[in-house]
Amino acid sequence: MSFEWPWQYNFPPFFTLQPNVDTRQKQLAAWCSLALSYCRHHKLYTLDIMEVQESPVFNHKNIDRKLSTEAILIVFEELRKKGNLEWLDKNKTQCLVMWRRPEEWGKLIYQWVSRSAMVNSCNTFPPEFHGLEEWMLIRSLQALQTDGKAEVITMDDGKGVKFF
Amino acid sequence: MHRRGVGAGAIAKKKLAEAKYKERGTVLAEDQIVQMSKQLETFKSNLEEFASKHKQEIRKSSQFRVQFQEMCATIGVDPLASGKGFWSEMLGVGDFYYELGVQIIEVCLALKHRNGGLITLDELHHRVLKGRGKFAQDVSQDDLVRAIKKLKVMGNGFGMIPVGGSYLVQSVPAELNMDHTVVLQLAEKKGYVSVSEIRESLKWERERACHVLDHLLKEGLAWLDSQASGEPQYWLPALFSELTSRDVTPEEANQITP
Repeated sequence: MSFEWPWQYNFPPFFTLQPNVDTRQKQLAAWCSLALSYCRHHKLYTLDIMEVQESPVFNHKNIDRKLSTEAILIVFEELRKKGNLEWLDKNKTQCLVMWRRPEEWGKLIYQWVSRSAMVNSCNTFPPEFHGLEEWMLIRSLQALQTDGKAEVITMDDGKGVKFF
Repeated sequence: MHRRGVGAGAIAKKKLAEAKYKERGTVLAEDQIVQMSKQLETFKSNLEEFASKHKQEIRKSSQFRVQFQEMCATIGVDPLASGKGFWSEMLGVGDFYYELGVQIIEVCLALKHRNGGLITLDELHHRVLKGRGKFAQDVSQDDLVRAIKKLKVMGNGFGMIPVGGSYLVQSVPAELNMDHTVVLQLAEKKGYVSVSEIRESLKWERERACHVLDHLLKEGLAWLDSQASGEPQYWLPALFSELTSRDVTPEEANQITP
């Protein structure tokens, strides 16, 4: 299924940080939405700022408009505030994108575990979990732990999880 | 000269004449009233017959409505003037336009976050028709204009700005004066406008042009594009043709602030 661009993507001013406060709020919300959908669609978890600037999301060649580095950082700050993004370094060159927050993943995992506990067969991960990177998985389990629904156990040869 | 005599006598005579006229007048009036009542009765039953014959047509046909409205205008009647009485109760004309008014408000509210409360009549028409579904009554642009005029009278912040042969419908009471309107009309051609274009077409001073554009930005009607070649451009979402056919997505709906 090909990615569906929102109307704003073809609207040239969308790539200019708006001077009007209310309009800017709408603009940033739309950017956050677009960035997350794009990452979700392409199953992207880590982003490099230099690379991302040139990706079609922020650089729309057809209309000859691109979002400035400054503006991208502002969008990413919004995502960080909402819990969808985490910087990997102080210089803000790389980040983790959580288009599903750890709590949301935790919920999905718990549901899957509850379902598969009912069946005595070998269980493969359903499609939603394909490509789920380990760091994301660990955070999700930690979120479940905070919720009292699971416990991460350190064993001799690694980590295990106990679900309640 | 017998001033008192002439004065008093004339007045008395006048009074007597007046009294006689009055009596005659009264007699005449009674006759007239009886006649007029009969005429009114006939008129009323004719109207009722007209109503029952044409009520369906009024609801169903936009062409009939236009002709009906024009006929009313000719005889100096506004069928939308009052909520009560013959026009609304018997013909249901008021109902039709009232319901349409509600629909118009709904469409404008749903899209306000995108276009700042400014929408082309074309887009409004398209969306109202869509909202009514396949089997609903036909609604023309003339109908929309009348319904909006009614909304305007009721003070809902509605207004209509003539642009490029049609209208921009304003649903949010943004302060728009003649200068703003004229710039909107200029922007209608391409969906955007720049300071140079304004100065060239309207022969304004730079400051005046900037003032208007700043106001449009402030009202949320225009967005700034600073990557255009040459100078900044000011784009209006209401005039962005790509936008007008797009539905509001669930993500957008979540972003709409009440």
